[in-house]
Amino acid sequence: MITIALIRDTFREALARKIFWVLFGLSTLMILFFLFILRIDIVAGATATVAIFGRETRGNPDIDRVVRGVYGAIATFLYTWGMFLAVFASAGLVPSVLEPGRIELLLSKPLSRTHILLGRFIGNVLVVSLNTTYLVLGVWTILGVKTGIWSPGFLIAIATTTFIFAVLLAVVVLIGVTIESAAAATMITVALMIISPILAQTSLMMRLLSSEWSRNVWRTLYYVFPKVYEIGKMTLDAIQSRTFAGFMPLWTSAVFGAAMLGAALAIFHRRDF
Amino acid sequence: MESEFAIETQELTKVYRSRWSGREVRAIDSISLQVRRGVIFGLLGPNGAGKTTFVKALLSAVRPTLGTALIFGRDAREPSARRPIGYLPENHRFPTYFSGAGMLDFYAALSGVDAAGRKKLIPEQLDLVGLSDWAGVRIGKYSKGMLQRLGLAQALIHSPSILILDEPTDGVDPVGRRQIREILTRCEERGVTIFVNSHLLAEVETLCGEVAILHKGKVALSGKMRDLTAGKGYRLTVAQPPEALAGELRNRASSMAVRDGLIDFQFASRESVNAAVDLLRAERCEIEALTPTTSTLEDVFVRTVENKDVVVKSGSNK
Repeated sequence: MITIALIRDTFREALARKIFWVLFGLSTLMILFFLFILRIDIVAGATATVAIFGRETRGNPDIDRVVRGVYGAIATFLYTWGMFLAVFASAGLVPSVLEPGRIELLLSKPLSRTHILLGRFIGNVLVVSLNTTYLVLGVWTILGVKTGIWSPGFLIAIATTTFIFAVLLAVVVLIGVTIESAAAATMITVALMIISPILAQTSLMMRLLSSEWSRNVWRTLYYVFPKVYEIGKMTLDAIQSRTFAGFMPLWTSAVFGAAMLGAALAIFHRRDF
Repeated sequence: MESEFAIETQELTKVYRSRWSGREVRAIDSISLQVRRGVIFGLLGPNGAGKTTFVKALLSAVRPTLGTALIFGRDAREPSARRPIGYLPENHRFPTYFSGAGMLDFYAALSGVDAAGRKKLIPEQLDLVGLSDWAGVRIGKYSKGMLQRLGLAQALIHSPSILILDEPTDGVDPVGRRQIREILTRCEERGVTIFVNSHLLAEVETLCGEVAILHKGKVALSGKMRDLTAGKGYRLTVAQPPEALAGELRNRASSMAVRDGLIDFQFASRESVNAAVDLLRAERCEIEALTPTTSTLEDVFVRTVENKDVVVKSGSNK
């Protein structure tokens, strides 16, 4: 009951912030776009015409390719703008609960500090995962009905987007309990997102870097930091039914997220308010 | 066995250390205080005396450097030990996205009240504090006095055994203040222990049966209100009596304060101060002064905190 109350509180606070409505609004716009603007006519199992804003495309495109392309574009949108907006919107949710006059009242209740922080964390992850599910399931259903193609690969985007958001949110939470700055939390988390595709160029950098020391530093940074880029690429590979190298990006990112969340909990337990 | 005290602190100390300079500030220093069940207890002190830190240590919002804080005999750091507490913070900041009813629902759920209980209790509490008509209105639109009353409803909703109130009438108009006093008196009649931290001396004097005055992080004075503010009383000033005798006098006196190497014992009656004098003379102890006193709580407060060189020591609140 207490956990549900904490999660519901995070939901209420998130919904009171306009940025979450922006996220929801963008998702709705996208769903409406595919519902009303995109027209696909199928004749005998093949695409007869694909029309956007009433203009038909030339030729006879492979419908499977079109659908997978749409899925890939949406997954990329979710992974870049969606993730950025979600981090931006979430950055203030931890500092706000630590405000003087609010945190003392929470701490006076019969619940542990772990409970308070995890309630916030889980609530925040749920808000973003619901929005992601809404968008992905909405588009998947509309395109499925319109084309008859039910490609389950796209649904993986729900899990991977939620997962990488949870990892980044752990960083947001750690910065939140440490310095209570939404701006710093956003900047550092976005920096992690930006640095990820750069660090992912490991094989190239191993050739370019001259000393073993610098190569080791690069490798360490690569393995320690979350693999935002690679998990995004894994999602696209899953959508396109391509194989991917392995699950290392997932488990190393999970370890990173768990370490950040553990550190946040340890600091939160030791703090005076 | 359950403790006879609602609140009990033992040598409670909080030292804040500057991370960079290493400078230490003792916000509260070896406070041993006992608050009996069912009383209204007032905590007083000038700004920076350590009142808020003390209250936060009771709630485990501040981790004591030394000592313990017990709520009904249980360590306040255990979450379940805080179940009987209803708390109204000073300068509270309730989330403005709540309506009045929504806010009560949230905090009642955190206090362990189930959904059926909340459905029944929320209208009752809103009615109690005169906010029934505002139940569905976002609290961002509430005045300060309304927020204070809503905060009190929040503290009361799970029928706590102990209420810890930090400046409960701050920002409330005179009618609202009287209403809050009446609510608290009814709580006292039901056996609820009420711990009030306030700088409004007249209000504390009206409301509280017992008080403690904090000064420089220590208990400078504590005792029953009627003894401390007795229309007629006697202050017996003694220089360093033997320890056993000091303990005996402390038990007989209504309050005690230590300053400049002298001890002030406050006695409520002529008989009790004469008996104390007899004890002292039997032990050939020097009596520095014997002064008749007539005090308001303000007099007691000012006298206690204006004694700049006070070497304070935990006083009896028996």
